[in-house]
Amino acid sequence: MAKILIVEDDEDLNGAYKLILEKDGHEVETAFNGEDALAHLKSFEPQLILLDLLMPIMGGLEFLKHYDLKSNPTVKVLIFTNMENSPEVTEAYSLGAHRCIIKSWTAPQNLSRVVNDALREKTDSKTVAGKTKS
Amino acid sequence: MAEARKTQKRLRFSNADTAQPAQGSVEVQALFDSIGDGVIMTDEFGRIVRINPPALAILGFKEEELIGQWFPKVIVSLDEQGKPVGLIDRPISRSFLTGKSISEKLLYRRKDGQPVSVAITVSPMMVRNRPVGAIQVFRDITLEQEVDRMKSEFISLASHQLRTPLSAIKTYSHMLVDGFMGPLEPPQKKALRTIIGASNRMNELISTLLNITRMESGSIAVTPKYVNLGRLLDEIHDELTHVATNKDINFKLIQPTDNVATRTDPLILKEIISNLVMNALKYTPNEGNVDLMLSIKGGSALIKVKDTGLGIPKLSHDQVFTKFFRAPNVIKRETTGTGLGLYLVRGLTEVLGGKIWFESEENKGTTFYFSLAAQRIPRKVKM
Repeated sequence: MAKILIVEDDEDLNGAYKLILEKDGHEVETAFNGEDALAHLKSFEPQLILLDLLMPIMGGLEFLKHYDLKSNPTVKVLIFTNMENSPEVTEAYSLGAHRCIIKSWTAPQNLSRVVNDALREKTDSKTVAGKTKS
Repeated sequence: MAEARKTQKRLRFSNADTAQPAQGSVEVQALFDSIGDGVIMTDEFGRIVRINPPALAILGFKEEELIGQWFPKVIVSLDEQGKPVGLIDRPISRSFLTGKSISEKLLYRRKDGQPVSVAITVSPMMVRNRPVGAIQVFRDITLEQEVDRMKSEFISLASHQLRTPLSAIKTYSHMLVDGFMGPLEPPQKKALRTIIGASNRMNELISTLLNITRMESGSIAVTPKYVNLGRLLDEIHDELTHVATNKDINFKLIQPTDNVATRTDPLILKEIISNLVMNALKYTPNEGNVDLMLSIKGGSALIKVKDTGLGIPKLSHDQVFTKFFRAPNVIKRETTGTGLGLYLVRGLTEVLGGKIWFESEENKGTTFYFSLAAQRIPRKVKM
């Protein structure tokens, strides 16, 4: 099982994702914006970060610029957003995001599947990104 | 190209000459000056012979600074990076070369050096099949572009804000059904599934509206990548199998042995094919068949979505891809639906440079065909 950091400003969703991933046996920490996430990363070393894009104080894109995924090649970032087909998603890919998932399409069992698939895939593998319907 | 060089040479050579403004009646001059858009008239060598006040206002020049000057030299067209566009690529040159009108949106450099966005139409003035000059009509579209950008931004933000509570409704409903908060009775589960179904429909609507707004304003972001088409269709098949299962529809995915690869935007392509499959599943009665097929011939991939559904009446074939259209046989049976799905599909297909068409017979079924440039990759080559 893996260490996962959830970065999501909506408390309801943040709590729901934590419950779902903990049920799968993962060790989960939660942050509510990019700045909060950077603070967690000083003491917590996750294999996967579930990252929202639009957040107060520091959004997901700004977080990716600060975190520098290239220096942390074993960490996978899954973008979890409702901004479908947007320039922000394109930029997140260029900053090293592994895959992008549309939140409002994603049911709990799909969240588990997407997270577990990402953890199994090699860091250099390519995935076709897309929305996960249920 | 030889013809292009000849024109280039002719245009450049003409730069050294002195132009003589065309003569015209007072009425013609008044008419010219009264046109609300900018108008510039050149002679056959590309020298400016007339320019009206709106054109001078947009470009920031005085009339005497432009009359007699060589159009491509004094009115500089810039590309998106702010670099001057080459002579041969300028609409005025292409219009001379082809003898046709050309309409484009581009950037001009004003006298003060600032770029200005303009929409232009340049047409050659022909006398006995020979160009004797060109006329260009143009207008400043800075404000329109700003409004478009704001509209896009608003829709994007509004969609995001609508989806955030929807995500919570859907996630928690699923968690309740899945027993995260303790066991539920069947009627309670049924009610929750209704909530999930309704939130899915709301989501579909938000997606469609968002995509149509972006498509119509030309601001859809296209990010081409190498895409394994088989893998993409696998994903779509996986994600939509539950819809087929709910209606006892036999939903098959048929693929060639070899991989089929293309360079395209996977999200947009997925949107197109998912839409076609969702339509097929929606309009096929229980226990029918829906096939999703991939094949490759020459340099072209063909994706077929074939159903044994209601079919499209022959009289409606011409209207299938138009906005808000819903076939009369469908309206009688299905009250939900916006008539926007295939309009979006056609627009997105154009964005990707693909082709889409269909064959259909009422009460027998429909096959939609989507083709895109692609290449066959032997299965043993890892993608």
